[in-house]
Formats: sequence, C-alpha cells, structure tokens
Amino acid sequence: MLSILDIIWVLVIGIIVLGFIAVSAMFLIWWERKVSAHIQSRYGPMRVGWHGVLQSVADAVKLLLKENIVPAGADKLVWWLAPFIVVVPSVMAFVVIPFGKNLIVKDLNVGALYLMALSSVCVIGIFMAGWGSNNKYSLIGGMRSAAQIISYEIPLILSMIIVSMQASSLSMQKIVAAQAGYWNILHPNMALAFIVYIISATAEVNRVPFDIPEAESELVAGFHTEYSGMKFAMFFIGEYTNLFIISAIAATLFFGGWQGPVLPGAVWFLIKTYGIVFVLMWVRWTFPRLRVDQLMGFAWKVLTPVSFFNLAVTGWLLLK
Amino acid sequence: MIKLAKNFVVGTWSLIKGLAVTIKYFFRPTVTLQYPTEKQPMSECYRGLVGLRPEKCIVCYQCVKICPTACLAITHKQEDKKKTLETFKYNMELCCFCGLCQQVCPTSAIIMTNIYEISVYDRKKLDINLLDMKKYDEWTNTTIK
Repeated sequence: MLSILDIIWVLVIGIIVLGFIAVSAMFLIWWERKVSAHIQSRYGPMRVGWHGVLQSVADAVKLLLKENIVPAGADKLVWWLAPFIVVVPSVMAFVVIPFGKNLIVKDLNVGALYLMALSSVCVIGIFMAGWGSNNKYSLIGGMRSAAQIISYEIPLILSMIIVSMQASSLSMQKIVAAQAGYWNILHPNMALAFIVYIISATAEVNRVPFDIPEAESELVAGFHTEYSGMKFAMFFIGEYTNLFIISAIAATLFFGGWQGPVLPGAVWFLIKTYGIVFVLMWVRWTFPRLRVDQLMGFAWKVLTPVSFFNLAVTGWLLLK
Repeated sequence: MIKLAKNFVVGTWSLIKGLAVTIKYFFRPTVTLQYPTEKQPMSECYRGLVGLRPEKCIVCYQCVKICPTACLAITHKQEDKKKTLETFKYNMELCCFCGLCQQVCPTSAIIMTNIYEISVYDRKKLDINLLDMKKYDEWTNTTIK
C-alpha cells in the first residue's frame, strides 16, 4: 500500500524531473540557436536577457498563449494523444539516468533495456501525429519516421548490448561502476560501438543529417505540420529532451557517467552530456540531409553488419 | 572492394573536413551589426537626406533650376543688394537623391548628408523647410557637417 509519504515523495521527484526537463529543453533550444548562429558568423538571439538567454522563455509564453487549431479532417483522439505519447517516454527515461552516485530516481536492474524500450515508444506518437493530422505531408513524415526509427533501433540496441556485455549488467549504475578509472570509449571495440551508437541515436531523434521525417524542403514540417501552440511546443520539448537523453546515455555508457576527479559527480555528468550535445549540434549545422534511400541503405547495409561484427568480436574478447 | 574502401576513406575525410570548417567559423568573430544600437558608418560620398548650411547660401537658385524633380523651392527677401533666405522648402517625397544640387552649388551650401534613416509615419513630415534645423532631429541625432 502506498502511504502519504510515498505519494509526496513521488510528487517531489516528479516535480524535480519535470522542472529539469523544462529548463534543460529551454536551455538546449537557446544553445542550439547560439551554436548555429556562431557557426554561421551570426549572434543568434541577443535581445531577451543576457545574450538572449530568456528567448526560449519568451517563446514558451508565446506558444502557451497561442490558439490551438485542430484541422477539420483530423482524427481528434489520435491527434490529441500524439504529443503526450512523444513527451511521456522522454520524461520516463529520466528514471534510470544516473546523474550522480546516489542521484538516480530508481536504479532498475534492467535500466538499459528499459531505455531501449522507451526509445521505441516515441515513434508511435510521431506516427499518430502523422496519421491524425489528415495531411499528406504529415503522413509521409510519420511514415518516414517510423521506417527510420525501426531501422536505426537495431544498431543502436546492438551497440548498447556491447556495453552491457562488458559490464555484465543492464543496470545503469553498475555500467558506470564498471568503468571506474578506465572509460569504455578507450577500448577499440567500444569506440566503434560509440560511433555506431551516436549515428543511430542521431537518426533516432530525427536530427540532421537524418531529419527526413521533418525535411522542411519536402514536407513543410513533417509530422508536426498541423500542430500549433502548446501541442507544437510539446513536440519541441520532446525532441530536445530526447537529445539530452541520448547524450546522457552516451555519457553513461561510454564516458564513465558521473565519474571524474575533483568536481562532484553531477557536474561531471552534465559536462560530459552537454559536450556530446554540442557535438551533435556541431554535426547538425555542418552536414546536409541524407536522401531517404541512402538513409535506409546506410542503416541496413553498413551499421547493422558493423554492429553484429562488433558484437561477435566483443563476445570473443570476453570469452578469451 | 577497393572502390568501396576508397569511397569510405574519402567520404570520412570529407566529413571531417566539413566539421573542421564549421568549428573554425564557430570561434571566429561574428559579422552581424546590432542595427539600432550599432550603425554602419556611411561613406563620404553617400547620397542621403539633403542638408543645408544657410550661412553659406548666396541664393543663386542654381539648385532649384537643376533639380530634375523640382523638389526644392526657395523664397528670399532682398535688402539693398543682399539677398537673404526666407524659406528653403525641400520635398523629400519628390527627391530622387541624384546629388545634382550638391554638384551645382557654387558655395557648397547644399549638401547630401549621410542620413539614411528617413522613413516617416506622416506624409506631411516629408515636406521640410531646410532652414528649420530642428526638424532633422525627427530623423536622426546627427547634425549636418
């Protein structure tokens, strides 16, 4: 039976996680705009607050005040549910992310598996958004997203399995503990797994160069073309939260998580995570979008065989 | 097989080169000018709003005659042999900023300033008396050299 204290505890944790997600997403949106601007020799947002830090807050307020427009031919229920199904898994993923030695909501013994499962739920929301909008661009965007995420899931999971094999555990804290003093990335097979992971993860969160589900030049905005106001903001928050999560997972699995000298664990964890986020932003503002056939070919013909090969090599190394 | 390997190496190298270019630009200073607070300095020969140095004007009417759009209109009063300006009407609505008035002026009394922020909300404000110097403040804080 749940006591009152348990309920309060759950509420407190929920508020902390949601607050962190909101602040982190807004910070990442601002940061992405700044990084893109400086790569293009611009300033980016400068007017609202110091160097435009409050720009995202202003945007959020604007989106909150905007009218919510429902397309006439939309499948209402599916259309309404879609943004929640995109956001909820990204919030749930925070449960197993270890921010510090004891700074984890719940150290599940199947943590990595839990994350793999959640990353696939997101695609259902995107597909629902595409279908529910009753718009050909949205539908194509949703379809592409489903195809892409299903393809890239396989190399992603295979590279996560390699890490779990090394640590002989699926628990995120045990994976971090197994890397004490010697990060996973320093093993050659793990470095390969990291490259596969980061490519697949970029595809998983629909970022450039794998952003065909929301390719502006072809599909307007893809699956969220018909969304406005706070529903659109939820997709946006979901996207940036996912960006944070994939970077956090990469930091945990390959870069020793919260471990590091002098500074407290949470600081090290955030430094590593935001470092990876910066690399992803750097990649985003450098490369053009892949063609849809190249994209599928790359997942099935390159990444999947490479990860299977890597899996076999890692298994052989462990048994040797 | 060799072609594939070559493709892989060349492709990877090109990706790294691309990343190097963007990170180089990331650390370079930006080129944006924060417009209302920072302003682009205009060149000496920029033809902006027409300005007048009334103390130099000898009321020769050359500028009025040469003006292709007839946007200038002068009235004067004559005391003995000395002419003094009464009004110097300049209709900016008609002006084509050709600079002929500046070229023809024998004493360089009429000049093209480098004032370029000349949009107004009221059409009446386009018709200005150049003798009324205060009116320039409605467009800009810069004074005529």
